[in-house]
Amino acid sequence: MTRHEQGSAASVALMLIAGGFIFLFAPTDALQGPVQRIFYLHVSAAIAAYGCFAVVLIGGVVYLWKENAAADRLARAAALVGLVFTTVTLVMGMIWAKPIWGTFWTWDARLTSTLVLWIIYAGYLMVRRLAEPGRQSARFAAVVGIFGFIDVPVVHFSVTWWRTQHPGPVVLNDALPPRMLVAFLITMACTLVLAAVMIAIRYRIEFLTDQAAEKVVAPIVAQTRAGDAR
Amino acid sequence: MRSITIALAVARKDLASEWRTREIVPALAQFVVLALVIANFGFQFDSRNAPAIAPGVLWMALVFAGLVAFGRAFAAEREQASLEAMLMTPAMPAAIFAGKALAAGLLLVICEAVLLPALALFFAVPLTFDEVSAVLLATVGMAVLGCLFAAMVAQVRARELLLPLLTLPLWIPFVVVGGQAVQSAMGGGHTATGSANGLLLDLDILFVVLTSLAARFVLDD
Repeated sequence: MTRHEQGSAASVALMLIAGGFIFLFAPTDALQGPVQRIFYLHVSAAIAAYGCFAVVLIGGVVYLWKENAAADRLARAAALVGLVFTTVTLVMGMIWAKPIWGTFWTWDARLTSTLVLWIIYAGYLMVRRLAEPGRQSARFAAVVGIFGFIDVPVVHFSVTWWRTQHPGPVVLNDALPPRMLVAFLITMACTLVLAAVMIAIRYRIEFLTDQAAEKVVAPIVAQTRAGDAR
Repeated sequence: MRSITIALAVARKDLASEWRTREIVPALAQFVVLALVIANFGFQFDSRNAPAIAPGVLWMALVFAGLVAFGRAFAAEREQASLEAMLMTPAMPAAIFAGKALAAGLLLVICEAVLLPALALFFAVPLTFDEVSAVLLATVGMAVLGCLFAAMVAQVRARELLLPLLTLPLWIPFVVVGGQAVQSAMGGGHTATGSANGLLLDLDILFVVLTSLAARFVLDD
């Protein structure tokens, strides 16, 4: 098994363990019933998405500062993974909201800002696709990643800044019973490992793509240029 | 000092070329009036619901007019390939960017000078100082962000698609805060216009600083 396969196997096993804690160890919520179990993955996915977008921010700043290709690849990988986790957060939240709020969606500050976050990083990936590959796409994407990160604190603090329907922070406010807290912390740790493994795999793909482009495309470009010069 | 002179020169050049061709402003003015006409049919306006709906219509019209205005800001430069020439001069890219943003922002202000009275006239909502100041404050931040991404998309494929995709999410804070300010200026809402305008000013400062730092990486390519 390669390192990446080992990592994938380990993260799948960890997610199964987290599933065990969510469904077998954590008690059923007295008010919401089994639906509350969505909370563990929903919040963990949101935190993983924040983490990914922080990596995009740092990768972007390092790229603009040092023109380091590895930093750009890391940002590229983290943006895609972050988008996946934002999608998971939104979908999980909607599934929870239907029985609890009676509707899949409401234009609440946190829901809206999370949707905007999704759109911003989808735009980031669009810039990567449409700009000229190489220096231009890396620079433009870094700028978008840095501006886009402004929305992360907005999402996070939206529940305290505005009066929202979305539940406020329960973990930091000590509002969780001990068994729920344990299940949550384990799920969060497993989800973060999963995110890190996904970023590592994606990084490898980006690395191989860049290498292939250098190996295959660069000689052709050089040849054409030499031909033009003659 | 030199940077300010350069920025003003670039802005003067853009405004002079707009004055000679008279392309953008008349088109934008028509566009915002058309937006009001469409909104009238879409929302089924009457005298009771007008104050509640008018702020939304104002921001919708303004945001889309802004996209057109800032999209055009770099279009002429691209068509004539004159941006490269400007960047070859020793002028700082941030100064060139500031000049472009100033000119495009002023064109949007002219278009607001049509939009706001038209809104007051057609939908019988008051035109107040608070409303005008909120719109002008939002224009500053929208102009610097819009121009930054316009400069970016001018250099890539499918630019018409990409500009709204990148710009609109980052304009949302201005629409949220500006929307509240205008709503209370028109007699609805519950946020004090003064505090909303203070927040708009904070956002302006944040984005002016950030875009002037980022301009170098977008233009100098």
